[in-house]
Amino acid sequence: MTSIGTGYDLSVSTYSPDGRVFQVEYAQKAVDNSGTAIGLRVKGGVVLAVEKIKHSRLLVPNSNKRIMTAGKHIGVASAGWMSDTRHLVKRTRDEAHNYHDIYKTNAPAKIIAERMGMYVQAYTLYSAVRPFGVSTILACIDEDGPQLYMIEPSGQYVGYRGCAAGKGKQAAKTEIEKLNLEELTVREAVKEAARIIYAAHDDAKDKLFELELSWICEESNNLHTHVPQDVLDEAIEHAEKALDDDDEMEDDEE
Amino acid sequence: MSSRSANAGYDRHITIFSPEGRLFQVEYAFKAISNAGLTSVGVRGKDSVVIVTQKKVPDKLIDASTVTHIFRITPHIGCVMTGLDPDGRNQVMRARQEAAEFKYKNGYEIAPDMLAKRMANINQVYTQKAFMRPLGVSMILIGWDDERGPQLYKTDPAGYFAGYRATAAGAKHQEAFNYLEKKLKSDEPANVEDTVEMAVATLSSVLAANFKAQDLEIAVVSKDNPKFRVLSAEEIDNELTRIAEKD
Repeated sequence: MTSIGTGYDLSVSTYSPDGRVFQVEYAQKAVDNSGTAIGLRVKGGVVLAVEKIKHSRLLVPNSNKRIMTAGKHIGVASAGWMSDTRHLVKRTRDEAHNYHDIYKTNAPAKIIAERMGMYVQAYTLYSAVRPFGVSTILACIDEDGPQLYMIEPSGQYVGYRGCAAGKGKQAAKTEIEKLNLEELTVREAVKEAARIIYAAHDDAKDKLFELELSWICEESNNLHTHVPQDVLDEAIEHAEKALDDDDEMEDDEE
Repeated sequence: MSSRSANAGYDRHITIFSPEGRLFQVEYAFKAISNAGLTSVGVRGKDSVVIVTQKKVPDKLIDASTVTHIFRITPHIGCVMTGLDPDGRNQVMRARQEAAEFKYKNGYEIAPDMLAKRMANINQVYTQKAFMRPLGVSMILIGWDDERGPQLYKTDPAGYFAGYRATAAGAKHQEAFNYLEKKLKSDEPANVEDTVEMAVATLSSVLAANFKAQDLEIAVVSKDNPKFRVLSAEEIDNELTRIAEKD
């Protein structure tokens, strides 16, 4: 049975003979080619971290952010095509605003995730459009506490305690599984997130990168913001030290 | 016979029939349902109807409480979606919308068979429009009908729907059908517990597995409790224990 896409992969409104929609699978590959993004949900809040690969030294640091805010209590980090992300975040902002207009309260994470998932799924139905080439990680604090969701290009979305997307997602997931997410504080999670991004980063492939970190927690008044500079510096220091320690360990073993 | 030349050219466009009169895209949509890897079963008893599906959480990091394939559509009607999850949610949302619109326009709740017919008709449209693909999901719908009692319906990507005494969808649906046909020859489940038992036993048998509470999702509609109800983990545990002790 052929499982090559040839002929059945030209539009998203075509199934292959073995029941796959190849356009959606290709969109997932676009995500797998981008810089890593992770999310960690701990008791006190949610932390998002992104490995922002820079293609030139001429780029202004701290510009072109990949973590965005949609509705003050919602943070969105993404892996994949940035332009698609901007489209999706704009839609999320509209949905969150719309919810607030009607119900006079902040949209719960579940509702936002559902709306985003449905919106992304709609782009996998018609031949006139292509699927979104992004996996978005959604962080939110609502009445049920801290929430973390990931929406994939197929429109599939699930709640997570820890998730990763992008180039280094396998390495990142392995590291995340080792963490005890129930016990970590937000401050610790911030440091761990930084460490994991640095660990998942492949220096051989893209030398230049910038770490972007954001959180929603009590310290940020339950609003989604990028972490303050001192917290960021501390996290980077912790991450770099962890990398050096790893290198030392390898040297010792030799 | 070269099947390659029969396939080439007709598969891509949903509006085109093959020379043998087949719609390949619709058949491929059915394959997508089996590929999802899950199996769901629905059984209708004398005074109750039950749906059971597997709950597989592949990743340790996933919050299991957010993973579900059972959805409530109206207070008395619910469903289990088998196949491509995003397409499933799309259909659930559409079903909720249709049911709500019906209530608004007509002043009373839609009946399960009418909702199933409506969803099937919508599915049929997707098999005739070139710019859209059929949804890769099968909806098993259960509900309480004031006049007819417990109801069980299934819709599929082809736009076909039917009422059933028992049905299944997903990877092992054929084996489940065989099992159910044999079982229903001899007895029709009389009460809720028996209906649940038959549904769970079907899944156990075709999947050759002993389930724990977290591996299953069960939802029930019964005469004593006509509201669509998803069983909690504890209730599922009780049912499984009861079934195990019976043996």
